Amino acid sequence: MFQYAVRRVLISIPSIFGVILIVFLMVRLAPGDPALLLAGEFATEATIERIRERFGLDRPTHEQFGIFIANLAQGDLGRSTRTNRLVTADLRQFFPNTIELAAAAIVIAFLVGIPAGIVAAIKQNTWADLVVMFGALIGVSMPVFWFGLLAILYFSVQLGWFPVAGRGTWQHLVLPAFSLGIGSMAIIARMTRSSMLEVLSQDYIRTARAKGVMSNSVVLKHAFRNAMVPVITVGGLQFGTLMAGAVLTESVFTWPGIGRLLVDSILARDYPVVQGAVLLIATSFIVINILVDALYAVIDPRIRYD
Amino acid sequence: MFHRSLRTVVALVLALVLGWSFAQTLVIAQGTDAVSLDPHDVTDSPSATVTSHIYETLFELTPDGDIVPSLATGADVSDDGLTWTITLREDVVFHDGTPLTAEIVKGSMDRFLDPENAFAFVFLLARVDSIDVVDDYTVQFNLGTTFAPFMAHLTHSTTAIVLPAAVEEFGEDFGENPVGTGPFQFASWDRGSRIDLVRFDDYWGELPGIEGLAFLAVPEDTTRMALVETGEAHVAVRVPPADVPRLNAADGVTVENVSSLRTIYIYFNHTMEPFTDRTVRQAINYAVNKEEIAEFIFGGAVRPSDAAISPGIFGYTPVGKYEFDPERAQTLLAEAGFPEGFDTTLYCPTGRYLRDIQTCEAVQSQLAEVGVNAAIETLEWSAYLDFTRRPAEENTVPMAMLGWGTVTGDADYGLFALFHTSEHVPDGSNRSFYSNAIVDALLDEARTTPDESLRLQLYEDVLEILREDAAWLFMHSETQLVAVRDGIEGLVIHPTERVLALTTSMD
Repeated sequence: MFQYAVRRVLISIPSIFGVILIVFLMVRLAPGDPALLLAGEFATEATIERIRERFGLDRPTHEQFGIFIANLAQGDLGRSTRTNRLVTADLRQFFPNTIELAAAAIVIAFLVGIPAGIVAAIKQNTWADLVVMFGALIGVSMPVFWFGLLAILYFSVQLGWFPVAGRGTWQHLVLPAFSLGIGSMAIIARMTRSSMLEVLSQDYIRTARAKGVMSNSVVLKHAFRNAMVPVITVGGLQFGTLMAGAVLTESVFTWPGIGRLLVDSILARDYPVVQGAVLLIATSFIVINILVDALYAVIDPRIRYD
Repeated sequence: MFHRSLRTVVALVLALVLGWSFAQTLVIAQGTDAVSLDPHDVTDSPSATVTSHIYETLFELTPDGDIVPSLATGADVSDDGLTWTITLREDVVFHDGTPLTAEIVKGSMDRFLDPENAFAFVFLLARVDSIDVVDDYTVQFNLGTTFAPFMAHLTHSTTAIVLPAAVEEFGEDFGENPVGTGPFQFASWDRGSRIDLVRFDDYWGELPGIEGLAFLAVPEDTTRMALVETGEAHVAVRVPPADVPRLNAADGVTVENVSSLRTIYIYFNHTMEPFTDRTVRQAINYAVNKEEIAEFIFGGAVRPSDAAISPGIFGYTPVGKYEFDPERAQTLLAEAGFPEGFDTTLYCPTGRYLRDIQTCEAVQSQLAEVGVNAAIETLEWSAYLDFTRRPAEENTVPMAMLGWGTVTGDADYGLFALFHTSEHVPDGSNRSFYSNAIVDALLDEARTTPDESLRLQLYEDVLEILREDAAWLFMHSETQLVAVRDGIEGLVIHPTERVLALTTSMD
C-alpha cells in the first residue's frame, strides 16, 4: 500500500510538469499582451516596453520558463502582473474558499444523492424511482448559473431567507453549495441506483435473503457497502471537478474562490497567476485521485495495492 | 437584584443603540474588485473609485466640469507658461498622522514620474521636467513645454499624493496598505470580495456622515441588482438598461441616470480603401440610425453624439449630427463609385462597453439596408487591443468600435491622442490613422496657448472639421445607470465613472 502510494506520487510528477509546460506555453500563445492590457488603450510604446521589462516579459520564452521553474523549486510563483501581489498569497487566500464551497457541495451531494439512489433502487419502477430519476435528470441538465440566479431571486429577494452573495456565515454557504452540488447530487443518485441494482441481483444477496436476513439489513449491510466502490469513484472525481469548475457558481454568488481568480487572470493575461492557479488545481486533482484509489482498499478488502 | 437586571437592560439597550449607530456603513456594489489601491498604479474605474476615498489630488474636477483646489490652495503660472507654482493647504494630515508638506508632494510626484516604475498614466504629466520645493507649503513644477491643460491633469485620480515614507515601508505591498489624506482610511480587504474603509476623523475637510464605507465586487449583473433590492448593498453600479423599470418599481430603490465623459464610436481605418474616401465615411454616418439604437438598445440611456467628445468636457461644442438618411447614404455611395455597396468587416468588443455587441449588430443590419455588408468580428478584449494597435502596414481592421473617457475633463485628453498624426498606433492611441494637417496644427496650438477662450474656439474648429470629415462613425456618449436605495444623501455619481461617497450621510 505504502509502496503503491509512493509510486503513484512519483508517476504524478511528470503529469504536473506536463501541465505546467502546456499552461506556460498556452497563455503565451493566446493573442493579447499583458503589458498592453496593463498600460491601457492610451499608453505610449515606451511605457508598454517598460512594463514588459518590469515583469520580465521582454525575455525569450524559454528563458522565462527557466526562471519560472527555478523560482518554483524555491516555492516562489512570482508576483501578479495585474495586482503586483505574491501569487502564493493569492492562492493561499482564494483556494481555501473554493475547498470550503466544494466540500460543502459534495457533502450535500452525497447526503441527498446516496439515499435517493438507494430508494430508487429498492423501489425500482415505482413512482418513487420515477421521481428520483426525473429529478436527477433535471439536476444534471440544469445550468448552474441559471439555477443559482433563480435561487437568489426566490430565496434571497422574495423570501429573504439567505444573503444574496458574499462569504462569511453559514447562511452565505447554503445557496452556492446547493447550486454547485446539484449536478453531482444527480450523478451520485444515478450511480448509486444502478450500482445497487447490480449488487441486489447478485447470488450472495439472494443467499442472504434465503437464510432470512432482514430486508433492511440486506440492503444496508450486504448490498450498500459493495455498491459503494463505483459511487466513491464518481464522487471523488466530482469533487475534483467541483474545485476546478466552481467558477460559474463563484461568479453568481460573488464567492472569492480560485475559479474566479483564474478567469480574471486569464482575461488580464496575468501569466504568473494563471500558472500558479492551474498548477494548484492540477495538483489537487491528482491528489484527490490518489486518495480515492486508496479509499477503495478501505471499502473493499479484496482490492489490494501490492 | 432588580437593580442589577435593570442595569443589564440599560447596558444592553445602550450597546444596541451605539452598535447600531456605529454600524452606519454604506455598501457600494461594483462590477469588479479593485486591482490595486496604489493610486499611481490604478487604471480602472473600480480601483479609482476606492482610491478616490482614501487619497486626494492637488486639484479636483467637479461633476459640473470646474477645476477647484483640493490639497492645493491655488496655482500661479509664469508668463512663459513653463513654471507652475502651487501652494498647499497647511492643515492636512495623512492617516498615520504625518502632516502634508511640499517635500511629500515632490516625493509623491517624483515617484509617479519615475520611468523605473513604469506607471501607465505617466504620460499625463510627461511635460514635467522637474519639481522644486520652494518652502514647506509651496511646490514648483517646471515644464519642458507649455501645456495648457496642466491643471486638468492634476485632477486625475492617478496623480493623487501618496506618502513616500509609506511607499518605502511597504515596498511591493504598498498597493494593499494605502495611507492617504482622504476622508476615509483603509481598514481591510478581502480579495475578490470586499474592501472596508472607515471614516478618518482628523480629516481637514467636511466629515462624511457615515462611519464606514464598503465596496463589494459583484461581477454578475443579476446578483448585483438583487443585493440592492434586498438592501444588502445601498448602491449598485452598472444597472443593465433592461432592469431599470423593474428596479424603479421596486420599494426603496431609484435608478440614477448620470452622463459619463465616455464617448463610444466606431472608427474607420483612414489608410484602407474605401474609407480613405470622405464620401464613403459620410454615407455610413447617414446610414446608421443612432436615435433608434439609443432608444431600442439602451432604453434611452445613452446620448447620440453631436461631437467627438461628450458634454461636460472643457472644449465641447455641439457641432451637429448626421441625421438618419438612408437615401442620402445611397446617393453618396453611388457618387463614390459603390452604387451596389461593398463588403467590409466591423470589429467589436463584447462586454467591454454597455451593450456593445448589440450595438454593432444594429449597425450591421442598418448598413446592410444601403448595401454595405459588414461581417462582425468579435475578439476578447486583450486580443482586441492588440489587434487594433498594429502599425498601418500590418493593420487589417477596417472598422472597429471603441470608447474613450475624457477623464481629465479637458478636450486635449480626448482629441489629441485620438486624432493627432503623431499619435498613430503603435506609438500613440490614434488607431484610425486619421491625419489632417489643419487638425494637427489646431490641436498643437490649443495645447500650448493659455488663453481659455482661444482654446474653446480652437476645439470648436477641430470638432467641426472632424464632423465634416466624418472621421468616425459617431455613436453616443454613455450614461451611468446606478441603483441607489432611498435615504442616502450627498452621493456623487461623477462623470469620470466614479461613485463618490465623500460627503454622504444616510438615515
